Amino acid sequence: MSGASVARAVFAKDLLLDFRTRDRLGHMAVFALLVVALLSIVVPASRTERLAWSPALLWVVLLFTSLLGLARSFQSETEGGALALLVQAPVDRGWVFLGKAGANVVALVGVELWTGLLFSVFLDVDWSGAWRAALGAGLLGALGLASLGTLLSAMSVAVRFREFLLPVLLFPLVLPVLVLASSITGAALAERPVPALWWGVFALYDWVFVSLGYLVFDYVLED
Amino acid sequence: MSAVELRDVSKDYGPVRALRDVTLSVEGGALVWLAGANGAGKSTLLRVLGSLTRPTRGRVSLFGVDPFAAAGAAVRGRVGFLGQDASLYGELSIAENLRFCARLRGVAEADLHRIASELELGPVLEQRVRTLSQGYRRRAGLARALLGSPALLLLDEPWNGLDSESGERLTRLLVRLRDAGAIVLVAAHEASGPLPRFDRRLRLEAGRIVADGAAA
Repeated sequence: MSGASVARAVFAKDLLLDFRTRDRLGHMAVFALLVVALLSIVVPASRTERLAWSPALLWVVLLFTSLLGLARSFQSETEGGALALLVQAPVDRGWVFLGKAGANVVALVGVELWTGLLFSVFLDVDWSGAWRAALGAGLLGALGLASLGTLLSAMSVAVRFREFLLPVLLFPLVLPVLVLASSITGAALAERPVPALWWGVFALYDWVFVSLGYLVFDYVLED
Repeated sequence: MSAVELRDVSKDYGPVRALRDVTLSVEGGALVWLAGANGAGKSTLLRVLGSLTRPTRGRVSLFGVDPFAAAGAAVRGRVGFLGQDASLYGELSIAENLRFCARLRGVAEADLHRIASELELGPVLEQRVRTLSQGYRRRAGLARALLGSPALLLLDEPWNGLDSESGERLTRLLVRLRDAGAIVLVAAHEASGPLPRFDRRLRLEAGRIVADGAAA
């Protein structure tokens, strides 16, 4: 039994559940739509100011929207007692973490694309000259949010106030994601070069939390 | 060394001690009844043996391997566990659930069909679990636990929610597994209905084994 096949099975099962129920993706999509629509009313009308505000607002919206989905990462497991299946997988449980985090990355990238589209429609953000860097920041941001979110969501499965606990733990830890992703997006939208150091630090941050999740998941899943 | 061994195993949940210095050995080919009142520690003992709950103290060995050690993960594939929930995804069909479990455990798909037919799940195999009756969910959970012909089968109140015919079929199945060399540990109340002839009865009280002998 290989760990990679367990990770693939968990990944495919989570995506199947996401697409079949549409609860998680649907809630995130509607939430992002409402927030961006509200922002379009309160953000200054001048194009220059919108351009200056958009990167930070985009990533704050993505953070809150992601939180909504990440908090429900283990809902299907807790509802039917199916967490036992994952705990009993006959491989290092780090592979289960990789499968679940991978499915969360896919969901978050979908939400990012949707939110990027909403920013174009409601806030006139033009991605045409910035899409490569924005997509790179989106992928690295999704990986960082998903790895930390999956780990913390698993840790808070058995906690009574998990809706409260998850943001309290997640927000300080994902601050680097927010800062780096909005800086890269801002530089790309302003057509400034993105320093290589930013990419390096971003990739390092993701690598640290993916590795941490892989290593500690064994203990997190047990009672 | 016995196939299943526990040495001075205790489990605390905060201030509550669910298991107290439990020492136990079970050889292959045994049908063992864990008896005891509610809260005696039966489910916790099964969860420790199923590697779902790490003991606070003591040593667990399954087939010569510590299932909680990094190198012991593979032994979990030899253990089937059915807790009080069916441990299935409500939005997946029984077939999808079993296929997922088979992939997790590295079990061939042919085994899935054999077990499904043995437990007469054929007519509902493609139905989503959340639409099924309690009895079918229980049978689907059993099918999931039996995937891969586990050498150690841990069942918590397996007759709950089963009609008498399904209950008797389960009893015959457990006896057959025991005869094939598996260890079957069943937590059940005395009032659980028509229980099979167990080889051994362990009685738990307040987390301790207070009686261990041949079942009457």
